[in-house]
Amino acid sequence: MSKKNGDMKIKGKDYWRSLDQLADTPEFNNFLKREFPLGAAQFDNSWSRRKFLTLMGASLAMAGLASCRRPEEKIVPYVERPEEVIPGVPLYYATSMPFSDHAFGLVVESHEGRPTKIEGNKLHSSTLGASSAITQAQTLSLFDPDRSKKVLKGEQEKSWNDFVLNWIGAFEEFKQNKGVGLAVLSGMFSSPTLSRLKKSFDKNFPNASWVTYEAVSDENIYNGTKAAFGKRYRPNYSFDKARVVLSLDSDFLLTESDSINNARGFGKARNVETEKDEMNRLYIVESGYSTTGANADHRQAISSGDIGAFALNLANALNNLGINVAGTSAQLVSDKKFKWVNELARDLAGAKGASLVVAGRRQPAAVHALAAAINDALGNIGKTVLYSEVSDTSSSDSAGLQSLVADMNSGSVSTLIMFGSNPVYDAPAELGFAAAMSKVKTTIHFNDYVDETGQLTTWHVPKSHFLESWGDTRSYDGTMGLTQPLIRPLFKSVSESEMMGLLAEGKATKGYDLVRQTWKNKNKGGNFESRWRKILHDGLEQKSAYKSESPGVKNSVISKFLRDNPLTNSSGKSGMEIIFRSSPSLYDGRYATNGWLQELAHPISKLTWDNVAYMSNADAKSLGVKNNDVVKLELDGRSLELPVWIQPGQAKNSVVVELGYGRKGAFKVGDGVGGNVNLLRNFSAVGFATGLKVSKMNRTHALACTQDHWSMEGRAIVREASLQEYRQHPKFAEEAVQHKPLESVFDEHSYAEGYQWGMTVDLNSCVGCNACMIACQSENNIPIVGKEQVANGREMNWIRLDRYYSGDVEDPETVHQIILCQHCENAPCETVCPVNATMHDAEGLNVMVYNRCIGTRYCSNNCPYKVRRFNFFNYTKDYSEVEKMTQNPDVTVRFRGVMEKCTYCIQRISAAKIDAKNNGRKVVDGDITTACQQACPVDALTFGNINDAESRVSKKKKFNRNYALLSELNVKPRTTYLAKIRNPNSNIKKA
Amino acid sequence: MAQIFPKWTNYLGPGTALAAVLLISGGTWFFWFYASPSFTDVGYRPVQPVAYSHKLHAGDLGIDCRYCHTTVEFAAAANVPPTATCMNCHTLVKQDSEKLQLVRDSWKDKKSLRWTRVHDLPDFAYFNHSVHINAGVGCISCHGNVAQMEVVEQKKMLSMGWCLECHRNPEPNLRPVSEVTNMDWVAPANQAEVGKLLRATKNINPPEDCSGCHR
Repeated sequence: MSKKNGDMKIKGKDYWRSLDQLADTPEFNNFLKREFPLGAAQFDNSWSRRKFLTLMGASLAMAGLASCRRPEEKIVPYVERPEEVIPGVPLYYATSMPFSDHAFGLVVESHEGRPTKIEGNKLHSSTLGASSAITQAQTLSLFDPDRSKKVLKGEQEKSWNDFVLNWIGAFEEFKQNKGVGLAVLSGMFSSPTLSRLKKSFDKNFPNASWVTYEAVSDENIYNGTKAAFGKRYRPNYSFDKARVVLSLDSDFLLTESDSINNARGFGKARNVETEKDEMNRLYIVESGYSTTGANADHRQAISSGDIGAFALNLANALNNLGINVAGTSAQLVSDKKFKWVNELARDLAGAKGASLVVAGRRQPAAVHALAAAINDALGNIGKTVLYSEVSDTSSSDSAGLQSLVADMNSGSVSTLIMFGSNPVYDAPAELGFAAAMSKVKTTIHFNDYVDETGQLTTWHVPKSHFLESWGDTRSYDGTMGLTQPLIRPLFKSVSESEMMGLLAEGKATKGYDLVRQTWKNKNKGGNFESRWRKILHDGLEQKSAYKSESPGVKNSVISKFLRDNPLTNSSGKSGMEIIFRSSPSLYDGRYATNGWLQELAHPISKLTWDNVAYMSNADAKSLGVKNNDVVKLELDGRSLELPVWIQPGQAKNSVVVELGYGRKGAFKVGDGVGGNVNLLRNFSAVGFATGLKVSKMNRTHALACTQDHWSMEGRAIVREASLQEYRQHPKFAEEAVQHKPLESVFDEHSYAEGYQWGMTVDLNSCVGCNACMIACQSENNIPIVGKEQVANGREMNWIRLDRYYSGDVEDPETVHQIILCQHCENAPCETVCPVNATMHDAEGLNVMVYNRCIGTRYCSNNCPYKVRRFNFFNYTKDYSEVEKMTQNPDVTVRFRGVMEKCTYCIQRISAAKIDAKNNGRKVVDGDITTACQQACPVDALTFGNINDAESRVSKKKKFNRNYALLSELNVKPRTTYLAKIRNPNSNIKKA
Repeated sequence: MAQIFPKWTNYLGPGTALAAVLLISGGTWFFWFYASPSFTDVGYRPVQPVAYSHKLHAGDLGIDCRYCHTTVEFAAAANVPPTATCMNCHTLVKQDSEKLQLVRDSWKDKKSLRWTRVHDLPDFAYFNHSVHINAGVGCISCHGNVAQMEVVEQKKMLSMGWCLECHRNPEPNLRPVSEVTNMDWVAPANQAEVGKLLRATKNINPPEDCSGCHR
């Protein structure tokens, strides 16, 4: 840390962004030196220059004739203006989004009845105002022209009424025989109304079977808590109270349940304002490289099958320290040994009651039981983790699905209803679901797309998007929320409640009436109407969470369970291990139709539009494969071909694959993207399996990765230190780069007056969850460009998450860095624009005037941060009327040939300024939140007036971790960064 | 030896130069004049589906602008009134007028009227009515004396340069907020001082940056 000689490496770390860079190949160096990669600025060669000029000349002549008078525009006022609607002024409604067996509380911005932007609901405990990439992207899913539009019987179009009549007939029949031969396969839900209706379904058809299945679920967690406590509990973690955290293969910051709250709590416990503050420490053992792994202070790559052995080792180490972990008797000691188990045990023991052990949903129940036992032994239950029994919820049950398929094969199912599920795609292939389904006489499919299942069923009924439906939800902690429609169904679809109402009660009832009935039953006595109005307004009922319990682990129960389900390890097994994880963007495949999510760079690999077989560098070497090479994965006689991607830091002898790709019923966006890994999945091992055979195919598959773009060549871009180093050198971030006093060759403006906008990005809080990227895309009408264009380096995101690795290729550390326009006061882009299309305003914003831009791209060439994006094509030209409805009317939709970039959400700044002015006051801190800031669950982004010493952003800029990116260029960026601090255990030596 | 070029060719050079100057200046003038919004846009008065007379309603009857354009004080857009606003009076007044047939149809069928926009800014300019009204810029400043118009027409250029003229020097166009909709308001003799005072008390600093209107 004492380097002050202008050397720009911090603590001697060598950051690298990809394996190519580490290897310093000529291709990579060539790539680096180009502003946009090869081919990015060149026409498709089927166009000769001459043909181009001919056509341009002709179209210019035509344009001259046609443009004599501006087009006539119509004003179409309301006949009767709805109360509260003011044209041009958005309204906000609270709703909640059902997801898995929980939900997210949201607030949706609506422009004249058109939902355009989703935010978290500040009142709702599931989001507290923040959101995630998946929740943000829901407006695009709503306005998807590929959604199912009509009731189908085979190929034939039918009406909802046809289906109702048909079902009523069947209903009466099944009522006679009490539901013999009737079966429902449902997706997970967590809804008081759906649960109430399911009860009447069960009452009407006691002999019918109801099975819930989803490809990604917390089933193992429930089974684990059952083994530990004797009751099926859901754990509720308080990461904000945990000083020492151990993750056992759990990506709790991004892909596990309740990740928004987890990230928030984790960020809170990690936050340091001064060098005197304490912060938490995260240990993780995992096979693949997850977002949580990237945030860890100590990470150990071990195969998923060894996690149980690791947990057992830890339990024994704790036992040795006198902390007796229930269920770990001597015969359960694993013979496999791991690094830093004893140091970890001491650290956990030193933080009794303020530590936390979390296991991932991929791990078997025994690991969860053991994690609960360790938490119990450490006194964490009741402090950092609480348990609750869930109700009104239908959770995944894989055994149920197996017996259902057996019934279908034996011919005992005559009518199968698939309620919001797509089993032909996502049921493990060993079941042969499609073949079993063909043996059922009548199949009814209810989902939002005519997907893989819907294409094969007798009936298909389109499901409304949650933004079009009445419904209700219970979030992860059980808070009861309402789902209210923001718009009438765009197509002839029905809501979940309406469909369930019909199935259960044999009559078509309006969704609103069904939901209201449920709530009326729950709120007996008093003035229901006023309570209902309040719940509708807030989007939730306060204090309705599940009862939190602090149960104790039952030693006898868990001991027996662990003896019956021994925690094995991977030694002595043949073949490689395959690990299945949910995609951070597409989840289990249900969002494969969403272009924003498809194009969202993977938080670690930065891949878009594909899933791959991740493997370690060593494994790739021994197989003789490199990135893009296709390999054949074989497991239990089934096979799948996927391209290879080398993931630094992945456990050896393992392959990680992600669910959600390889769809065949995801239409123009999702079809043919990646491969369906459910084809390899087994019920015996839904999370991971051994015995995988990998063989090289003699072909390659081009992948679109945003990783190597805009590299920053070894400069002190991300500055980080350990807590210890920080305490010794509190100003390390600023001191990392030394330079002579700088002078500008241009006249500098004074920005002493008025509002001066600025931002800070806290690298220590940022977990790299990508929520900001989709929030920005939704707010600022950023187009989707497609895989080919991403490969050309033309992705359009205004805000991006750079990821740098440092250290050993087999065990690297990772940092994330949010990069957006830095709004330099001495902006290099401005001085090179020949037409003044980008310039500064009095409030310090670097503004982009689209109408002046002639597309020279000099500005992008001269931008040291590479944050400018160019519209190589007219991406928005072919939007259908439905797709156009996603656009934010407050932001210009850009045309071909125009440069664009982050504006600090200037539309929100203007709105706040106008509102303040109309009310005769000044804009105060907190009036303006940028879209990225609003979405961020960890408060990593802070925006405000830097001329106001009391604003949060001013205060943060005074932190000693504050530094400006590339300040040595004298560009004076308004966005500054707060350096990252790690908190490694000083007793653990780095290898 | 006979001369190759006749004598008149001596004028060819200066003649060509003169023609070039005329052509260039003529062309410049042509575009300056015909392509300017003062030629293309000022005076634009499309025929509206209903022959609504602002002169009658706002002028002779003295209905305040905000009776119909209700959102002008708190929204970007000064809304065109819903049919319901017309019907507030016309269920009682002129119930059988032929001119009002379309309005009555709209009310009965619940189908919107389709007016033609007169004052049409480009879509990339985000003009906000409310902030101007609250600053004390009269309707008349941009729309002309609508109360005297039988058919509404565009009176001002509404070009960026025209907007900036006022943004650079707003004082001549400021009036007390209470007089904003008053078409007959006459600027006092000391408008320069009054404008300055209004500007100071209301802290009016119209933006001159691109970001003021373009997003």
